[in-house]
Amino acid sequence: MKFKLIYPKWKKLPGQTTFNLPPHGPVVFAACLPERVDVSFTDENVEDIDFEEDCDFVGISMMLSTQVKRGWAIADEFRRRGKQVMFGGISTMLHAEETLQHADSIFLGEAEGRMEQVIADWEKGQLKKVYNYMGKQPDIALVGPARRDLYKRELYNHKGVQMVDLFHASRGCKFSCYPCAVSYLGGRCFRPRPIEKAIEELETIDNNRLFIVDNSLAQSTQWELDLFKEMIPLKKKWISHTIEDKPEVLDLAAQAGAWYVYQAVYDTSDYIRERVKRYHDYGIGVEGTILLGLDNQTEDDILRLIDFLLSIDLDLAEFTVLAPFPHTKAYDDLMRQGRIFDHDWDHYNAGQVVYQPKNMSPERLQELYEYAWKSFYHDETQEEKMFKLFTKVMLREMEDGTYRPRDRKLANKSFGKDVDRSASKVNLR
Amino acid sequence: MFDMKVNDKYFDEIFDFAGQWEMPSKCGLKIVKRGDKTVVLATELYQDNPGSSITYAGGSLIKQICEAKKLDLRNIIYVECNPDTNSKLSFYDEEMFRVDFEVENEMPTNLKYTQLTKEEIESIL
Repeated sequence: MKFKLIYPKWKKLPGQTTFNLPPHGPVVFAACLPERVDVSFTDENVEDIDFEEDCDFVGISMMLSTQVKRGWAIADEFRRRGKQVMFGGISTMLHAEETLQHADSIFLGEAEGRMEQVIADWEKGQLKKVYNYMGKQPDIALVGPARRDLYKRELYNHKGVQMVDLFHASRGCKFSCYPCAVSYLGGRCFRPRPIEKAIEELETIDNNRLFIVDNSLAQSTQWELDLFKEMIPLKKKWISHTIEDKPEVLDLAAQAGAWYVYQAVYDTSDYIRERVKRYHDYGIGVEGTILLGLDNQTEDDILRLIDFLLSIDLDLAEFTVLAPFPHTKAYDDLMRQGRIFDHDWDHYNAGQVVYQPKNMSPERLQELYEYAWKSFYHDETQEEKMFKLFTKVMLREMEDGTYRPRDRKLANKSFGKDVDRSASKVNLR
Repeated sequence: MFDMKVNDKYFDEIFDFAGQWEMPSKCGLKIVKRGDKTVVLATELYQDNPGSSITYAGGSLIKQICEAKKLDLRNIIYVECNPDTNSKLSFYDEEMFRVDFEVENEMPTNLKYTQLTKEEIESIL
């Protein structure tokens, strides 16, 4: 049986450097399919979909709200051609009712141990409209190595430099952060993978640079310490979300190859300043993630925050405006107050204001968001700052003998397209 | 990071309900008789609620409570409580909303939220 797996494209935010990373969800899902299923994968962010490709059954994997409308259009086209289409993934779960209107079937929840039944149902012509496993998480030990063999590697390469591979070591989250739906999607319990399973998968990844995409590694100190300890011999270099602010954790993380972390910067306190410094003390870079438009922020607060960022030696910064995704407290609060005015999911890209902020107009928040990006990268562009981080990681790789020179055959290619040498910035799609 | 344990001052029992897509969900519940009306107070439990929030569950939760407790949908005052969680973040301060609704085919619809002051909460409870 030929299964066509598709990851829909989405419109990238204007003015920002685009790096297309190999998507994680589809290949984690593909690892759950029975061996008899022949899978072909297309990431529409880096290549066009061939609607004529020979296939029996189509799966559409969606992570972002900004993918859903495109995903529905793709499904409509395949269904018009007589193919059956199933949806899965995070944003399928967040937008399930609407997605159902464009699907022969939707899969809600985690796929491990469940796809044999789904495929058998399809083979018998008895595909169910909904496979609902919400709140019924499978044993985390069932999570096996992702099907990274499905990637067309040359498409995730920028001027000869291979993009990082994505990897996850846990699921679920014990925190209920205001703008986040992870606890709804993956459960409110932190579910770490057995260390040996995580390490086994890491060993299979033919890439020394990784992005550990777990929502937060800072949920169990002992597990974090055990994981980092076992990662040291692998000599990988990696990006992750927050790491616990404890000397023994930071020390082991650095030894295990922590390259840089995403750290939320939500105020101008000494705590944040020192937190960033402590990462740097251990040789770990910091990309600040700054959420704008919360109810406790005035225009002055945002302007002060931007000045503060320039003073704390962040390696990179990523600004977003609050997007009230379904199943978050932000959504509940704004919905109760009737403040959400835009329900077009294409606009839920965290760069466009879709609600009435408390202390300013939507237009003013939009201006401040754009001002934040321009101010932070005024003296040094995003690419220049990124290059500095790359230099640091290359030096560390040279020290431990894991450095791989860029692939010269792909030096004139960026994500599968010819590089326009006349352009000063990468500008794709 | 913070522990979002909810104080039980606004509920007498934990009520199990079916959330979105039948997800097993929980909320705090207090039912108080006030004259000829019944006040139903549902409290969000955050980390102790494994499924849908009480706000997202909305009318479905109201219907489930009324069915389980044999209350007349048309004769209740329904209040949603988003309790204080001892967070430094103001988004998790206590907020209460009176939820008014219409009833169509025995299902609450067209929910309207009105935030209550401390005095209003005291007078209702």
